[in-house]
Amino acid sequence: MFDPFHEVVTNVSKTIMQFEAQLRRPVIGVMPAYFPMELIYAAGGYPVQLWGNNLTLEKSDAYLQSYCCSISRSVLELELREISKMVKAYAFTSLCDTLINLRELYRRLFSKPTLQLSIPITQTEEARQAYIKNVLKSVTTGLEEITGQQITQASLIEAATLYGHTRSLQRKLYNIRRQKPGIMKNHDFYTVLKAGFFLPAGAYNQLLETLLHNLEALSQPQDSRPKVLISGMVFDPIDTYKIFDELKFDIVDDDLANGWRTVSKENLQIENLVEGITQYLFNPAPCCCIYNPENDRHTYLLNRVKQSGADGVLFWYIKFCEPDAFDRPQLMNRLKAEGIPAAFIDMELSMSNFEALKTRINAFCEILEG
Amino acid sequence: MTQLAAYKKMKELMTNYYIEAKTTREKPIAWVTSGAPVEFLYAMDVLPIYPENYAAMCAAGHQSIELLEAAEAAGFSQDLCAYARTDFGADITQGGPVAGLPPPNFLLCSTNICKTVIKWYEVIARKYNVPLFIVDTPFLHDGLTKELIDYTISQFKDLENFLAEFTGKPFDRERFFEVLSLSSEASGYWKKMLYLAKEMPAPFNSLDSFIHLGPIVTLRGTQECVDFYKSLYAEVAERAAKKIGSLPEEKYRVLWDNLPIWFKMRRLEKFFEEKKCTLAVTTYANSWGGYSNIDNYQGKDIYEAMAASYLNVYINLGFEERINYLAQLIEEFSLTGFIMHSNRSCKPYSVGMYRLQEELSALSRKPGVVIEADQNDPRVYSDAQVETRLEAFIESMRPINN
Repeated sequence: MFDPFHEVVTNVSKTIMQFEAQLRRPVIGVMPAYFPMELIYAAGGYPVQLWGNNLTLEKSDAYLQSYCCSISRSVLELELREISKMVKAYAFTSLCDTLINLRELYRRLFSKPTLQLSIPITQTEEARQAYIKNVLKSVTTGLEEITGQQITQASLIEAATLYGHTRSLQRKLYNIRRQKPGIMKNHDFYTVLKAGFFLPAGAYNQLLETLLHNLEALSQPQDSRPKVLISGMVFDPIDTYKIFDELKFDIVDDDLANGWRTVSKENLQIENLVEGITQYLFNPAPCCCIYNPENDRHTYLLNRVKQSGADGVLFWYIKFCEPDAFDRPQLMNRLKAEGIPAAFIDMELSMSNFEALKTRINAFCEILEG
Repeated sequence: MTQLAAYKKMKELMTNYYIEAKTTREKPIAWVTSGAPVEFLYAMDVLPIYPENYAAMCAAGHQSIELLEAAEAAGFSQDLCAYARTDFGADITQGGPVAGLPPPNFLLCSTNICKTVIKWYEVIARKYNVPLFIVDTPFLHDGLTKELIDYTISQFKDLENFLAEFTGKPFDRERFFEVLSLSSEASGYWKKMLYLAKEMPAPFNSLDSFIHLGPIVTLRGTQECVDFYKSLYAEVAERAAKKIGSLPEEKYRVLWDNLPIWFKMRRLEKFFEEKKCTLAVTTYANSWGGYSNIDNYQGKDIYEAMAASYLNVYINLGFEERINYLAQLIEEFSLTGFIMHSNRSCKPYSVGMYRLQEELSALSRKPGVVIEADQNDPRVYSDAQVETRLEAFIESMRPINN
């Protein structure tokens, strides 16, 4: 029942080109993170999410130093090697210093248009609203220029409904996993999420609905397995989940930027789009990349651990992601103080040898098993 | 280092500053970023403390390694900015030249130098359980706009309210304008002094400007700061008038882009002197000259001028503006080439630098080199690697007057 999702994830370019031809919508590459797909779809675009890949870095090394994260380096590799030819424009957010400069680099190296959803981090409410209003105007105008189509109330409603439905279906999938740990292989679960980065929302929603229906027939494994929550920016490299499966180690929940932090977002409110975008960016899950003292990560993560029934937390760290790395020591200390085992694993997206990773995952698994 | 009488005065100023920081009982203490609008604090008798400055002092005094290791032992990744790690280590061990910084009563952070400072200050805010006020100064992808100025001004006004509430007294606008004027005046002397390096031979070099940077960062807005830079300017101007160069012989003149390598100042100084190469100008030291524009904003709202200055910081600019600015410096300072420090600890400065080098070389028709290093972590630095690259670069330059 997971084959269609695996098919997409192993044939990303083919999938995108097939749907591009079918939908006749320009493909917009969306960089990490939280750029609302709804805006792109409402402007007549076909958003695909670029969270990095496992390409060998052949060309990007000429432009990005080894101390840049492998997300930025591998995404740049796509364009330099002309693998992402079908992408007509790129949408960025101001998530971190690397991404901010990466947008500038794209503007110097390539002729494709770029958009920037700059996220305000002030706590001055009035300033924040005025800022988002301006940013929104710039982004929507930019999108309309790229696609040649106007964003209308009707197109916004359609987009908000479509993508809201995607996340609602994904939340159901998360709930099933929480309630019946082990019902899906970890590798299958994240493949389902990953397929959503590339499929158009309509097609993806259909696949998700079928999957959710089919999952009803499956029963939970009876053996007792360690349950873990993973926290970080991205869930890749996808093949690492085969290790969890092999070790019979169930991920019951996550706190990932391209996982629950995005999936948990409610429907984009379009009646007041400025307020809708504000809510979308800052709620409900806190993120290390978005300063929001009213939504404390420590309290939030502790609650998620309790709600999910996880035995421990594994921090899934993509090297050189500063926002993630700054938060981690205090978060780990807090978890440990509450009696929750926590460990971290660092990695690069381009890694291909998972033996060391396996040893570390196994060691954590043994801690959880007591 | 160029022999300047002002150096002794600067040491005295900085010593007094840190003595006050460690002993004051009257003044609230705020930890602030180097690009924060400190004038608001001085106006309200809040003592600003600069963790970045302290981290640099630790590295320049060859004390950073043990502090970095202490931070790493506490779980802070080696991937993080070495200034932040040095300060975390100093905070944990109460180490460094003044045995750690005095604990903050609140934090003020501005994003014009990086977004990293938000995370860094969040860690401190959580540890000390103190308020964090952020002045968000968004990256200028497409230059300065009225909307960005308004956005920044709104936050300035909110900062005034925050300070009034925190100190329990109304915000002193009259005093604020005085402080702003002093800040602008000091920055003006600093900028004028830096631009004396247009003279040939350059009367001082960028390694000197790095060393004399402390007061403009920490004491900007005070009378002592104005007096110091006035005297420094006078001294350097006299050298320029007498054609006294920083180096015994000046064959090459280059720009240094990015922060200094604090733990290699002496070795690099010797290296460049031997090569007869003056570091005539640096984007880093120039950043504090930008605040001199505030007073020259005649006829316009002073808050607008201030917002423009705090937004218009070199590393907060898009690449187009950066390249044009660098090319302008190369022209104005009659440079023979440029050095870019790809600094592991400073992504806003460094990410995209290789492309900037290509474009700047093409535009200015001057050779440039990128060296891989770090501002504060000696463990990721190789003398041989850096010096080999610099030697090859220097050989590729056409000397002045040729």
